[in-house]
Amino acid sequence: MPTLPTTRHDNNQLPVTQQIVSVMWPSFLTASVATIIFFTLFDPTELAMIGGFPNLTRTGGYTIGFFCFWLLTSVSCALTCYFRRPTNLRKPDEAPPQS
Amino acid sequence: MSQTAAKDNQAPIEQELYKKREKIYPREVHGVFAALRLLAMAALLGFYYGMPWINWDDRQAILFDLPARKFYIFGLTFWPQDFFYLSMLLIIAAFSLFLFTALAGRLWCGYACPQTVWTEIYMWIERKIEGGSRKQKKRDQGPRDASFFRIKLAKHSAWLLFSLWTGLTFVGYFTPIRELWGSGLTWNLGPWETFWIFFYGFATYGNAGFMREQVCIYMCPYARFQSVMFDHDTLIISYDEQRGDPRGSRKRGTPSSSVGLGDCIDCGLCVQVCPVGIDIRDGLQYQCIGCAACIDVCDDIMDKMGYPRGLVKYTTENALQGKPTKTIRPRLLVYVSVLTFVSAALVYALWTRIPLEVDILRDRNVLYTETDEGLVQNVYNLKIINMDDQLHRYSLSVSGLEGLRVIGQTEDIEIVSGAVADLPLRVEIDPFALKSTSSEIMFHIESTVTPEIAIEERARFLGPVMR
Ligand code: SF4
Ligand code: SF4
Repeated sequence: MPTLPTTRHDNNQLPVTQQIVSVMWPSFLTASVATIIFFTLFDPTELAMIGGFPNLTRTGGYTIGFFCFWLLTSVSCALTCYFRRPTNLRKPDEAPPQS
Repeated sequence: MSQTAAKDNQAPIEQELYKKREKIYPREVHGVFAALRLLAMAALLGFYYGMPWINWDDRQAILFDLPARKFYIFGLTFWPQDFFYLSMLLIIAAFSLFLFTALAGRLWCGYACPQTVWTEIYMWIERKIEGGSRKQKKRDQGPRDASFFRIKLAKHSAWLLFSLWTGLTFVGYFTPIRELWGSGLTWNLGPWETFWIFFYGFATYGNAGFMREQVCIYMCPYARFQSVMFDHDTLIISYDEQRGDPRGSRKRGTPSSSVGLGDCIDCGLCVQVCPVGIDIRDGLQYQCIGCAACIDVCDDIMDKMGYPRGLVKYTTENALQGKPTKTIRPRLLVYVSVLTFVSAALVYALWTRIPLEVDILRDRNVLYTETDEGLVQNVYNLKIINMDDQLHRYSLSVSGLEGLRVIGQTEDIEIVSGAVADLPLRVEIDPFALKSTSSEIMFHIESTVTPEIAIEERARFLGPVMR
């Protein structure tokens, strides 16, 4: 099995479950706050009217709104997680640079 | 991840993060703090599951009626327009947390946090079905036979039922709970309600049944940032190293000095009861949720050994170093004064709250129209919300410019409690009275029943300038 190129800093990478938690959880928190603020200002039924879904109930609107926010925030968290990885990749069998 | 890379330059803390999580089987504790914890759990869960069933004025006392965009809290009704009060409440909550943490450390985590409370009840169910921690561990390491699966099935069914009840109660804060149970029992729940019941129920099941201490360690933002609120006078749980070390076992009733040891008999019970799986004797660690289980169990041991209690105890950093503990500190005074100020402001704002709200929307399509008589007209749409809990009749007037006249209903605008009235109005004026193309005018709305309920709202009047 080919080994993925890795870096010294990869030691600081969290295990996968924790990476998932660290993406999903902060995004959940911020999405909740965003949902509350957004829907205090806008009535979901009115938005649904504009958007062309006249049959959507308020509860449905809140739910969809919340998950849209969550999707957005989790994408941004996932990108942070991804870009956090250092770019100075080095082959695993190379000696670590002396510092 | 390659082996080579993982090997070099690995601090012990990183290794810990790599370790696969092993299930912690905390031993059951009895004692003063365990009793307090039980009391807090009963009170909080009782409140959570019971509150939606309490009525006030013919309706649920606490109901965040999202479908109607109204929040009922006992006698008060809040609207999305009342967001201001919510933000004040949030400020109060934040400062209470700062104050409380600086004073009492993680008292919240140990006794009142929903994560702790639900974990505790799920563990209680687990113990009732699976037996004590030793039995649980033995079963998990033993063969996967029929009895294993029977007991696991029983436990998970009980957990799931409890989760479902939890989810239903949660949604019951947003849709009237009596109706919810009614439609739940007849399989008539709306799709969104069903979804949220399962979502919340499942989250509880996962967090309290499986994630447990990992939520505190990896997911809780409060656990991470509370260290900045700590100081040397904050209440912490600590092992008295001076008194306890060197540790070692000995016969019951042997005075420590006679065997050249400290008071800790190294029984390891404090580690066995710890729900987050740490050793309090290693010093203050951020994983410690301050549940005081280790205090209870160690006090028990001290009693048995005939040593004074409090080898592990609530104390402060200063007290540990033999310095006096100061309860009143500058930062606390700051917190207290902010809290007093904001709370007073909130009470005042609620007290003087006028349960009437008006939104004025200008007709966006036309700036103004000119009538046959040569007057300038502006069209407005007023949304008047009666936020009081009785019917009101309102009268309306406009001021701000000489000779303004309102065309439309200005008297006897009848709005029942909690309703919104749409009122299209036209305001006209002789263009020679206009001094600029955009002037400010004022709408006054007043209840004829209670004249104190009156508000003013600014609007813009557009027109040509005649010179
Ligand atoms: S419970 Fe008390 S005596 Fe036992 S190991 Fe812990 S600190 Fe020492
Ligand atoms: S160290 Fe003691 S107080 Fe802290 S979590 Fe463990 S048992 Fe609770």
